[in-house]
Amino acid sequence: MRWQRHRDEAAREQLIRRYMPLARALARRYGRSSEPFEDLLQVASMGLVKAVDRYDASRGSPFQSFAVPTILGEMRRYFRDSGWAIHVPRGAQERALKVRDAQERISNATGRAPTANQIAQYLELDLEDVVDALQAIRAYETVSLDAPRGSGDDEIVAYGDSIGREDERYELVELDATVSAALGHLPARDRLVLKLRFVDDLTQTEIAERVGISQMQVSRLLRRSLEQLRSMTDAPAGAR
Amino acid sequence: MAGIPNVRLRLFNRAENVLLVRQALSGLAETVGLDAIAHNDVSTAVTEACNNVILHAYDGGEGPLDVELTSTPEGIDVIVRDRGVGIRPGVKTQEEISDGIGLPVIQALSDSVEFRNLPGGGTEVAMHFESAQEHPLQPSPDADGAELEAIDRDMPADLTVMTVAPTEVARSVVPRVLSTLAARAYFSTDRISDTQLLADALVAQTDGSISSSHLSVGVSVAPRNLELHIGPLRSGRADELFGQAAAGNLGGVLERLSDGHTISATGSSEMLDLRVAQRS
Repeated sequence: MRWQRHRDEAAREQLIRRYMPLARALARRYGRSSEPFEDLLQVASMGLVKAVDRYDASRGSPFQSFAVPTILGEMRRYFRDSGWAIHVPRGAQERALKVRDAQERISNATGRAPTANQIAQYLELDLEDVVDALQAIRAYETVSLDAPRGSGDDEIVAYGDSIGREDERYELVELDATVSAALGHLPARDRLVLKLRFVDDLTQTEIAERVGISQMQVSRLLRRSLEQLRSMTDAPAGAR
Repeated sequence: MAGIPNVRLRLFNRAENVLLVRQALSGLAETVGLDAIAHNDVSTAVTEACNNVILHAYDGGEGPLDVELTSTPEGIDVIVRDRGVGIRPGVKTQEEISDGIGLPVIQALSDSVEFRNLPGGGTEVAMHFESAQEHPLQPSPDADGAELEAIDRDMPADLTVMTVAPTEVARSVVPRVLSTLAARAYFSTDRISDTQLLADALVAQTDGSISSSHLSVGVSVAPRNLELHIGPLRSGRADELFGQAAAGNLGGVLERLSDGHTISATGSSEMLDLRVAQRS
């Protein structure tokens, strides 16, 4: 290469500039949205500079096939050294909170639950980010995600208990006899939400309004209750 | 090379389907406890391999994109397969420099990669990643490749099909892929959540009812409507999934979350067809 033969700074600069789109393309591909793109681009550019300085044309391989692993290696090292793997869950959780808030804001404004695309547009995120967030919201059991919205937990339980316990049990018996036996082990609020969804066939948004929690909370609560019911009804008879 | 895949996706080479592949991989990564950087490596390489099929395999046309993901004690194996004109590294488009980096990226991120031409046309990219997993899966002794082919044949050609085993992988993969399809079908967030709950219930309740090593779910996606084709189930089991009297099942839950079902027999087993719609 000209710059290596003659230590020609101008040729080096030119080479770096010429391959900047490669660094950019790799930053875009390897980077995750949890990391600011400008930071990644800087790391990728550093990788490109290393590749330009270390490339040995006499080995016969084209510059690009040497530059790609060098740049990716730089980004990988950056992820490892910056503790990225540890930060990933935090970034994902922050995005989950944003998605949850957007979901509620749009619901409140329009009176109906938004589509994932609407949330993506609203937050200027990729659909993939929203899908990941919806997945995270349903998985995480964090204090911040579970904080009651509007009314306190006690009120919700009180509301649940205010419904005739026997009536409720009776209706749920119709759902499934075995399940009904297990239902007695769930808290009142969880039973109420199950009843509203599976006996009264309300949507999660309607249940959220009725009970005074968010739809995402209804979603998580349903998941947890169904899982508990499943594990109770799957257990061998002696263990019940 | 890897044995029977834990996840097989039968897709078309549409750009939107890369998201399904990445979601399925996330599900497997979560199950086996793949480290985040290794997950990012695999995900980036697989995305490149899929994009190559989307952009170049069919000369701008449409055709099959098949992806197989396998966890072994040695790492993660991925196969990306097309039935097209083959890999053409020389292809140039507008982005002269950045284009054509797919293959170098795959080579840089995987520990080994093989490109094979398939008899009858098409190309297979087989990548191996020697990634540490916290809970690697053991090869399943009763899995049988011919069985997978048979499941595939029973699924109508136009469906998006995922075939998954064992149950612990299905538990993570099926809800992710189905909720992604629900998002694509313009479902609202509460209906997407219902779809996830339905997927949980399906995986839990079909465990032990499948007449094969793998659970297979074929999906047709239309605006505000998903049609699921689930099987292969042992004779009589599909009905049982819905039967409210059957001990230990939440049949009412499946029924409430869906908008109609039918059961069809295919040879010695049966398929459960479920419709899930966005209700207004």
